[in-house]
Amino acid sequence: MSQSEPPGGLLGLSYDGETRVFEALKIVSTAIIVLVGAWPIYWMTQLAFTEYETVEGAVTVFPTPEIFTVGNFTVLTDPEMYTYMFNTVVVAIGTIVTVVIVSLVAGYGLARLDFPQKENFARILLLGYLFSPIVIGIPLYQIWRSIGLLGTRIGLIIALSAVSMPFAVWLMWKYIMTIPEAHEEAAWVDGASRWRGFRDVVVPQCRPAIIAAALFAFALAWNDFTFAQILLPQTDTTTFAPGILRAMGQAQFLPDAYLMAISLAMTLPPLLFAYFMQSYLLKGFQVRAL
Amino acid sequence: MASETGESIRPRGTYIPWDELPVERETVAGIGTVLPVVVLYLLIAVFPIAFAFWASLHNIHTLNPQWEWVGLANYVEVLNISTFWGSLWRGIVYMVGSTLLQLAVGLWMALVLNRITRGQKLLTAVVFTAYLIPTIIVSLVALRVFDPLGGVFQMMGAEWFGLWDSQTAPLGSRDWAMRLLILIGSWKFAVFVTIFTLAQLRAIPDRFYEAAKVCGANRWQMFRDITLPRLMGIVLVVVLLRSIFMFNKFDIIWQLTQGGPGNATTTLPVLAYKTVYTDQAYGLANAISVVMFLFLFAAAIIYFKLFNPSEEVETTT
Repeated sequence: MSQSEPPGGLLGLSYDGETRVFEALKIVSTAIIVLVGAWPIYWMTQLAFTEYETVEGAVTVFPTPEIFTVGNFTVLTDPEMYTYMFNTVVVAIGTIVTVVIVSLVAGYGLARLDFPQKENFARILLLGYLFSPIVIGIPLYQIWRSIGLLGTRIGLIIALSAVSMPFAVWLMWKYIMTIPEAHEEAAWVDGASRWRGFRDVVVPQCRPAIIAAALFAFALAWNDFTFAQILLPQTDTTTFAPGILRAMGQAQFLPDAYLMAISLAMTLPPLLFAYFMQSYLLKGFQVRAL
Repeated sequence: MASETGESIRPRGTYIPWDELPVERETVAGIGTVLPVVVLYLLIAVFPIAFAFWASLHNIHTLNPQWEWVGLANYVEVLNISTFWGSLWRGIVYMVGSTLLQLAVGLWMALVLNRITRGQKLLTAVVFTAYLIPTIIVSLVALRVFDPLGGVFQMMGAEWFGLWDSQTAPLGSRDWAMRLLILIGSWKFAVFVTIFTLAQLRAIPDRFYEAAKVCGANRWQMFRDITLPRLMGIVLVVVLLRSIFMFNKFDIIWQLTQGGPGNATTTLPVLAYKTVYTDQAYGLANAISVVMFLFLFAAAIIYFKLFNPSEEVETTT
């Protein structure tokens, strides 16, 4: 193809030969990723649609018509499960809203306003990553108990927000730095206040970073087991992860097919998020100086 | 450049008494913007750590509000209990094993996802889902497929590869529990590496590769001289974060094995949790937490001294 064929690359192949090897490797890799990445989700789905008596006894690969059922999903209306999932949704939304608002404001402050020690402040924030949820959770149990936040969803939202905060603030700060300050100056010249400039100029341009921070907070809240396990000891406010583990401990028989049906319901929101938000998400994470 | 003219056009609101104060108004506003972060940070990081340190100096039964001052006795006890050193070692095995596997798999997935043309969006979504679904679901599915009663992986391992006996639950076996924990955790968390590296790969302009091609570079040279340097900074940061997260990991271990069989998968976070809720020794557990934090702190400082990830990132911007 090209005029000057590059001298042999790896394995002494020509550029086109190398391209063919590369294409083959790519197809094999894709196949492995599909297998490893999609397989557990497929397995969960097929078990969720299979009669639970069948699931208990034998290995099934596909829910053929005679063992196919949607009956497993009735477990979603079970008041206990419904409560767990409802609590998880409340906590996730609460965490996302808190993280986005606080990190946007702080990120703007770090990027645009001058105040002493701000670089050091951001560095110290990152030290927060060193604290294991267990290291924080055990003392937090006592602290929350003495100020009355133990067993409340608000208490969990505060804990989770604070954990995703350092990362979100850092992301927002670096992202706002990439937006030219001239855009705001133009608004100021037209008589806008700093608040108006922030609201009408900066926030709309921050969309990728907002989505990245929101998704990070969502993953943290949706995933969380440790904090919920320690901070929500009562059943009526607990979230999905510790709730289902406790339910499994108490119930004599909670069929696997039911568990898979619930798991599928809890997997769909992340899957939809990942599908529709991925370009924003990747753009938000393009910030290099983390 | 902006700051020269910026001063004059920055908006000034109506008169507020603090305009008279010796500090700049901008300083006040700046500190105001980070105040919520500071409050949250104090509440969730600084106070608990201070509290943990204070509690670690006392002998406390978990359910008993009476604290008995014992000074550093808990720390002496922590360093003397045999399970501590074993747990530290297992934690390091888990951390290093998981981080290396996740780095390799995560980078590989990012490179492949960046290059495929058909079904890219869907496959990326499927891969990302692994990171976003609750850990408990990963655990439930894993417990299910490794169950001796109708678990498909258990069956494949026993019948196809003869790795274990058809009656054994691999997650309950001393030989396999730790390896499987590393594998299952990596399935989920390798995606963290993928997300960051894929974002970096997307940011490399195509013209870099076109220019290299015109200059006669082969694929390996392009990878070595264009792709790798652009990834280096973020890889160093991601390795640091993943190591810390894996060392601190509690949830997936507790859900899959509860630290068992015996102590085969008890890492430090699991040991701390068991000390609070099984041994009811709240003071001792806090001493373990503080020691854990100090270990990580020391390790992080060494890592920064060796590689300086933040500087690396800044210079490649």
